Amino acid sequence: MSASFTDAQLAAFMDGSLADEALIDAIEAAINADAALAQRAEALAAGDDFAPLVRDAFAPLLDAPVPERLTAAIAPREADVIDLAAARAAKAPVLPVPANDTGRSNWRWPQFGAMAASLVLGVMIGGPLLKGGSGGPQADGLVLASADLTAMLDSAPSGQRTDLAALGEGEVVLTFRNADGQLCRQFMIDGAGGATSDALACAGANGDGWQIEAYGRRAAPAGEMKLAGGDAAPAVVAAVDAMIDSDPLIGADELAELGKK
Amino acid sequence: MNPDETARQALIALIPRLRRFARVLTGSIADADDVAQASLEKAMVNLDQYQPGTRLDAWVFRIARNHWVDDRRRAHNRMGHDDIGEMLDLAGEDGVTVVEASAEARMVRAAVDSLPPEQRDVVALVMLEELSYREAADMLGLPIGTVMSRLSRAKAALAKRMTAEGAVQ
Repeated sequence: MSASFTDAQLAAFMDGSLADEALIDAIEAAINADAALAQRAEALAAGDDFAPLVRDAFAPLLDAPVPERLTAAIAPREADVIDLAAARAAKAPVLPVPANDTGRSNWRWPQFGAMAASLVLGVMIGGPLLKGGSGGPQADGLVLASADLTAMLDSAPSGQRTDLAALGEGEVVLTFRNADGQLCRQFMIDGAGGATSDALACAGANGDGWQIEAYGRRAAPAGEMKLAGGDAAPAVVAAVDAMIDSDPLIGADELAELGKK
Repeated sequence: MNPDETARQALIALIPRLRRFARVLTGSIADADDVAQASLEKAMVNLDQYQPGTRLDAWVFRIARNHWVDDRRRAHNRMGHDDIGEMLDLAGEDGVTVVEASAEARMVRAAVDSLPPEQRDVVALVMLEELSYREAADMLGLPIGTVMSRLSRAKAALAKRMTAEGAVQ
């Protein structure tokens, strides 16, 4: 069968100069059925005139700066928690370490995420932000204990900068309900020290405050103000994606929902 | 360095080529970066499925292409084609403004973008990434003759368009 195509035909097939569509189909079918013919065709392929042009045309992409979200996508998983060490070194007093802490490198979201978040939040922002949860690493036990932050979550509309006193400035980025009907709010804190953090909190079932569901520190350069949630810490974005079960609540709807949280 | 860290470094080095590959597939830099981000995240999560000794780049490109194909099936409201020139002009924050000087390069990109998706696949893999026909066929799950005929038709379409625009004689 392979003998039924000439070298010229096969070479034209390989370099794209064969105009006869039926012949292209016939050669394709024959090559698919005959490995020896595939080898013969490859051997007849001349240099590719187009490849250098196409490579040059797309070459600028290889030299372009890589967006931060792409490098962040493969950041080590422990990045959120590693901050703890730096913060601890920089700041006394030393935090209590959970009795069952067998080494930070083994921590993973979500089992220990909330506990790590409480430690990091507490250290990074410099105060007892959270209460409860002394029994172990359950996310359920972690409740916000900062009055300024609680007030912001209770009543501030999305997009409004809120002064959090010693904590810095905060802003709610997104409000929605989760599958259980709980009101959840993603927010950011521009810490007094220049670091920006993101977190997701959901209203407790019994009106017992806001519980932290996820927390992360931004990789963005210190001091860079961003009003949108698009650059939020990946752990928080992932948690929002996993939990969101309503359209984002905005405007009058948001305030009404906050009133009956 | 532990094996995960080694793989992570290799993935970081791969990002520019992954963006280029995704840009050719999607026709838009915004979609390309979405695809690149999703495939890097999937690669990290599934690192244990990567077979050491095989090509990491091919493994990641396969993840990227599968993601894009699934994504394309799910959502029809993708971005229209754009050119990378605007993106590069925006990339001047560090003081190095990259000026897209070459009209020919822009025209070649437009010609590639005008190809049907199945032809862009083989252009990206064989022309740009320089995979062999066999490697490309394995990645795409196609017989080798079909890869060859798709590239043949892609070359014919590029030649037609470039001749019309005066890029090649």
